[in-house]
Amino acid sequence: MTFLVFILLFICYLVSGYGLLTIFGMRLKTAYMITLSLLLGIVVASFVPFLLQLFYVDLTPTTIFGSLLLAALVLNIPTWRRIRKEGFPAVRRSFALKPFRILPYEVPWLLIFGFFIFVSIWRCYYLPPTSRDALSGPEAIADFAVREHTMINSFFNVDLWSTNNQFKSPYLISLQMICKMAGFPFGQVWLSIVFVSFMIFLYHALKERVHPIIAGLLLLLFLMTPEMYAYTFMILYDYSNMIFFFLSLYFLFDYFKSGIRSHFYFAGLLMGIATYIRSETLALAVLFLPVILLSQRRNKDSFAKIVKADVFFFLPSILGYYLTAQFYIKYYLPVHYDIGGLVNDHLSDLGPLFQRYSDIVTRLMTSEFAIHLWGYILYVTAALFLAEGIFVRRYSRDARNWLYAILVLYLGVGALGFLLPMMNLNETTKRALFKLLPLAVLYLANNQLLIRLSQWISRWEGTPVHLFAREQPSTPALQANAVLAKKAPVKTGKLASAGGKTASPAGNAGKTAPAPAARPSSKKRKR
Amino acid sequence: MTIISALLVIIILNVGYYKDWFQAKPLQYWTDFLKEKDDTLSEEGIMASRYGISYTMSMRIKHVLEQKNVVHPIILFEPNSYYRDSLHIYPKVHVPEPAVFYYYTGLEGVWINSPDADKANYLVRITSKGVALDMIRTPEQRQQLLAFYRKYPPIL
Repeated sequence: MTFLVFILLFICYLVSGYGLLTIFGMRLKTAYMITLSLLLGIVVASFVPFLLQLFYVDLTPTTIFGSLLLAALVLNIPTWRRIRKEGFPAVRRSFALKPFRILPYEVPWLLIFGFFIFVSIWRCYYLPPTSRDALSGPEAIADFAVREHTMINSFFNVDLWSTNNQFKSPYLISLQMICKMAGFPFGQVWLSIVFVSFMIFLYHALKERVHPIIAGLLLLLFLMTPEMYAYTFMILYDYSNMIFFFLSLYFLFDYFKSGIRSHFYFAGLLMGIATYIRSETLALAVLFLPVILLSQRRNKDSFAKIVKADVFFFLPSILGYYLTAQFYIKYYLPVHYDIGGLVNDHLSDLGPLFQRYSDIVTRLMTSEFAIHLWGYILYVTAALFLAEGIFVRRYSRDARNWLYAILVLYLGVGALGFLLPMMNLNETTKRALFKLLPLAVLYLANNQLLIRLSQWISRWEGTPVHLFAREQPSTPALQANAVLAKKAPVKTGKLASAGGKTASPAGNAGKTAPAPAARPSSKKRKR
Repeated sequence: MTIISALLVIIILNVGYYKDWFQAKPLQYWTDFLKEKDDTLSEEGIMASRYGISYTMSMRIKHVLEQKNVVHPIILFEPNSYYRDSLHIYPKVHVPEPAVFYYYTGLEGVWINSPDADKANYLVRITSKGVALDMIRTPEQRQQLLAFYRKYPPIL
């Protein structure tokens, strides 16, 4: 019975996430459509009980599951319209599974990934939440919310002097409530959906840039980061935050390259989700404004257009921050939380700021402790970064984007630690650095030395070599997308239809990702 | 190419710290799985094996109080710094913070600096002999206890 409920929940997540993708006019490769639908579906599910709470609706299985179903239906209104217009095959194409073919040399990688994933899923299912930050806040609130039908429950009558975890985003509370009501006593199983979806997304993203062997190697290095692997079966905010932060940058950088405006707004939504999960992400989002403005200036966008686009990009992040970190805490929770009181009183003394930057490098990135946290992935990244600088003497635009993101994260996390002294080095800052790892992996996937190696392997095995890492859209489909996107900018408020039209000309609709996903020659690969 | 892939996987799993970690964690988790898939532990049993002594102790307190039919118990915990500085049994032995104790048991626990410390009617004492749950009978007794433990600040 529990398994059946899980399947129903899974479908509900898939459908509501797909609806959200459709609203933003996203037409991507099947693997991306499915994984993004699931990830977005989880977010929708996390928002539903929170929304019900904001309206003081009793949080019972009926109201929650009913609302989840309703959300899935409402979000798919554009899909229904499309079905009426183009027929059901239009939607079916989005999930069309092409003949599933695994190259022989992918098998060892997939086996080891499968092992890691299986072990993680089992622990997620079998064990209760463990981290102290979950037990002293969201997990306890969720547990009592299931019994008392409200997130503002008897947990708040207890002495909470030793914790501030009750003030964190309702993201975890909602998802734990749903899973517990579905019959999983420890909740948590939603985390496996998040984990597996992201792994599949990342593997496909890497395979578009480097040879599958190198993609497998990079993903294994990513998976074998000891600290982060633990959070694939221990619920907390940082793993999910990392995923949506990364996805936001993935589509933002894709927008820089392809000019597809719907990807820009979608990136804004994803950044908003990352902020909804961890409110301080707002500060990191703002640090990407310079590079966004630079891109818009390069595109010769008018001032009004820039302002409008940027407002819509940052709006989800501002809402994500305000709803969880201000509105809910201030007007709903029975206990007061003075965020302003947490800010460093001695901002003119910059010593601790530089000390924090130094500590991040010496303790969290380059020490033996750092190896215990992240394995060798940061060392590999640093070595290949230097090697690219020495031997290639330039970094591609894609690589520069990811390097910029790494720099922003480093500067931003250090500054946050300085501004908010409660963000200690060994816990909060350490977990904030989760976000660094997918950025590093994507930089490596755009490293010219690895791309040359990929090309060399492809040449050796007799497959086309022009497929890895393009600076500009190189196929007619991509160029058409870019031109169309520029000619027909999306009108805000009509994202669904406009985005859909610009992002997917008829010949490409529902088949491939307009920019990041399309790899025309992948069909030609013979192995 | 397949052999190269397989070799790369084997090399990574056996290089430096990866080898130690892989054997200590994922491989150990696999061994755990082989045992766990057949076990018949209840939810409480799984939680006890996962959370360890602080959970077991919390549940014992709950059962004792249920047996005594205490209507509204408020349990005062000794500060963990007392176990660290005086008994030298910390962190192996420590009590959960009130929020986590409430999650485990649904009972109100307090520390010496809690707003409800003045209402505590039971004290959990940990000694080398074991755990004791003492009733606090008078306000004077409670004040004496609070005064004694005040020099040990609450820590997690």
